[in-house]
Amino acid sequence: MMAKYIGRRLLQSLFVLWLVATLAFGALQLTPGDPAQALLAASGATSEEIARQRAELGLDDPLLRQYARFLGELVQGDLGRSWLHGRPVSRMIAEQLAPTAELAGVATAVGIAVGIGLGVLAAIRRRTWVDAAATAVAVVGISVPTYWSGLLAILVFALHLRWFPATGSGSLRHLVLPALVLGFALSGSIARIVRTRSVEVLDAQFILAARARGLPAHRVLFVHVLRAALGPAITVSALQLGFLLGGAVITESVFARSGLGQLAVEAILWQDVPVVRGVVLFSAVAFMLVNLLADLLQAWVDPRIREAL
Amino acid sequence: MRYILLVLVLLTFLLTSCAPQTHQPLVYGLTLAPSGIDPHVNASSELGIPLSSVYDTLVYQDPATGEFVPGLAQRWDVSEDGLVYTFYLRDDVTFHDDTPFDAEAVRFNLERITDPALASQKAAFMLGPYARTEVVGEYEVQIHLSEPFAPLLDALSQVYLGMASPTAVEEWGDEYQLHQVGSGPFVFAEYVPGDYLLLRRNPDYAWGPSIYQHDTAQVEEIRFEFFTDPATRSPALETGEAHIMGEIPPQDAVRLTEDEGFYVEAAAIPGVSLMMFMNTTRAPLDDPLVRQALLYGTNRAAIVSTAFRGTSPVAYGPLAAVTRGYDPAVEAYYPYDATTAAALLEQAGWVDADNDGVRERDGEPLTLEMYLMGWGYMPEVGQLLASQWAEIGIAVQSEVVSYPEALEIGAEGRHHLIPFNLSGSDPDILRKFFHSQASFNWAHIDDAEMDGWLEEAARTSDETRRDALYRQVQLRVMDQALVLPIRDYVNLNGVSGSVSDLRFDAQGWFPILIDVTLEE
Repeated sequence: MMAKYIGRRLLQSLFVLWLVATLAFGALQLTPGDPAQALLAASGATSEEIARQRAELGLDDPLLRQYARFLGELVQGDLGRSWLHGRPVSRMIAEQLAPTAELAGVATAVGIAVGIGLGVLAAIRRRTWVDAAATAVAVVGISVPTYWSGLLAILVFALHLRWFPATGSGSLRHLVLPALVLGFALSGSIARIVRTRSVEVLDAQFILAARARGLPAHRVLFVHVLRAALGPAITVSALQLGFLLGGAVITESVFARSGLGQLAVEAILWQDVPVVRGVVLFSAVAFMLVNLLADLLQAWVDPRIREAL
Repeated sequence: MRYILLVLVLLTFLLTSCAPQTHQPLVYGLTLAPSGIDPHVNASSELGIPLSSVYDTLVYQDPATGEFVPGLAQRWDVSEDGLVYTFYLRDDVTFHDDTPFDAEAVRFNLERITDPALASQKAAFMLGPYARTEVVGEYEVQIHLSEPFAPLLDALSQVYLGMASPTAVEEWGDEYQLHQVGSGPFVFAEYVPGDYLLLRRNPDYAWGPSIYQHDTAQVEEIRFEFFTDPATRSPALETGEAHIMGEIPPQDAVRLTEDEGFYVEAAAIPGVSLMMFMNTTRAPLDDPLVRQALLYGTNRAAIVSTAFRGTSPVAYGPLAAVTRGYDPAVEAYYPYDATTAAALLEQAGWVDADNDGVRERDGEPLTLEMYLMGWGYMPEVGQLLASQWAEIGIAVQSEVVSYPEALEIGAEGRHHLIPFNLSGSDPDILRKFFHSQASFNWAHIDDAEMDGWLEEAARTSDETRRDALYRQVQLRVMDQALVLPIRDYVNLNGVSGSVSDLRFDAQGWFPILIDVTLEE
């Protein structure tokens, strides 16, 4: 049953991947400007030299042939070579993957922990000032852009209190501020869904009955509410991976960290098409895999879903 | 309670995981994280900041005098016709991997740079009409050109034409940029793209040029880190995470200057100043009177004090004042004078008949389209220009575009105005902007006489003649009002008080790292 489900999901993913690849190819065709000129203009290259470079990059070929070549290489797992650096795109992505994964992973953990904490707190103290405060914090998390909260965190925790370094990567201490900033931004949407789900559980007939029979409050909280809240929290954080990758771009830039975000920004600025395409495709694959994983995790947490598969 | 203890233990672990190391490297903040840093291949200025001290060049340019002094070449001569440069090389130089440096190494490097398969983005073009390299003796090498090319020594003095170890280049191939080997005062020790680049002192260095004050480097290690977000540069300096930081935003530079623990080393960059190119083929800027009115109607001093907090000099002509061949005569052109600007516009037939604040001619309003790139304070400058010109009845529509898009708009002439600046120590840089065939001919000027001057100046090696030609070009550009100069580029380096003797080379971008000292 499970294997069939996974197989179907993977097949769907393959279709989505082709769609993403085609969109990425098309969108980059539509961006104005000539990459060959962007590479060489400042060096004083003549128009013939720029034309030669354009031919070299295969930009003179008919669109369909370029598309076929791109797909053909993609099927073989080849993302091409960077026009700017001449190195294989897959290797460049591999180099930048670890710092981004590290940031995204820790930020997700922070986001889930803070989000569940806020959401459950708001639910059990419903319609009190605690609820209002927790909801307010969640709204702030959702609405404040990370480039602002990041700079604020640097100002307070690095410049004034000097607890953590402002910038850079490498050690755990470097990870604290960016992970907190990104995790906090993530926690807002998690807190909201967790609060809703917890309220449902707390209001449920079986909980009322259990409490009437004298089930202690902490058992209600830890066994019933938390378990019910965990599922939606996982789904939301998986769905937020897109946000997380986007947020990582900004967070990486604010905290001067290396990673996929920095790679993408440079590639976009220079119209280094293979690298942009590579990062987009890679993000799509990561997004799909994580969501598949989240669904399986949820099935594991929630027996009803497991049986429905 | 147990949880509190656990949290405490974790926190202690976090805080101690970065225990102080035995010796502190000098940390130098760069502004881009270029993943392509092979100077023979890539074009960024950032790469030269570390690599100018990894590679030696055949000659060096003295930043104080502009003279070329011996480097890997002890001396050189140029044939009568300017086509053959003979270099007599030092015989005591070894690369960091112990490969000896000789004439064959020079040939290997120049052949590598000009090999189309390398797809060099800058170095190959710097060699101009390069034909071939001939090994004459073990330490004697000739560069042959297909026509004379005056900027050759300037090119050979830059890191892009630095000498790499042929052994290392062949060993690493595509991945050479991660394992670079030169013969300079610092060894390329470790590079993690996007993260850091570590240079280590070369204890055997003994062949530095006369512009270096020390025989070997004064610090053991230099760690380069990347700070792409301008807002984080000054904080990184202030928390002690970096000792030197390039491209500090002007407002932060002003603040650092007032702080006792820091100073600002403002390095003037030679080349083409930040200026607005005026499209001479698109109405109404096809009328020289309107272009002159824009120049008179611009208060450049106000722009420099607002957008750059007074940290850069006002630009008067196409070349920055620190560039070789700069002619101060341009400073007399177009002082700020709104009355003259208004009179010129009226003379050209532009009057505000309907009193809506914008002048018209034949029912057409005087509206200019301006395309701005999102860096180098171009959007800020554009905004200030628009508000100044509103006062003389000119409306501006501006749009921020990417660099590739700006190139396309500029080449097709869809703009009225596009700003740009470019660094370079040789005045031949003017050829990239004002020659009719130039890639940055955004003024769309087609002046056969000026083409001739620029071509002759690139060929002649007579310095006086070159200066005279470039003087004519600069005055012609201003007479014709092809550009509106704004400011000369200045790299504001924030420096910790513990660092001394930070100087920059003739390009203005590249620090002379061998002499830099760091107080523990």
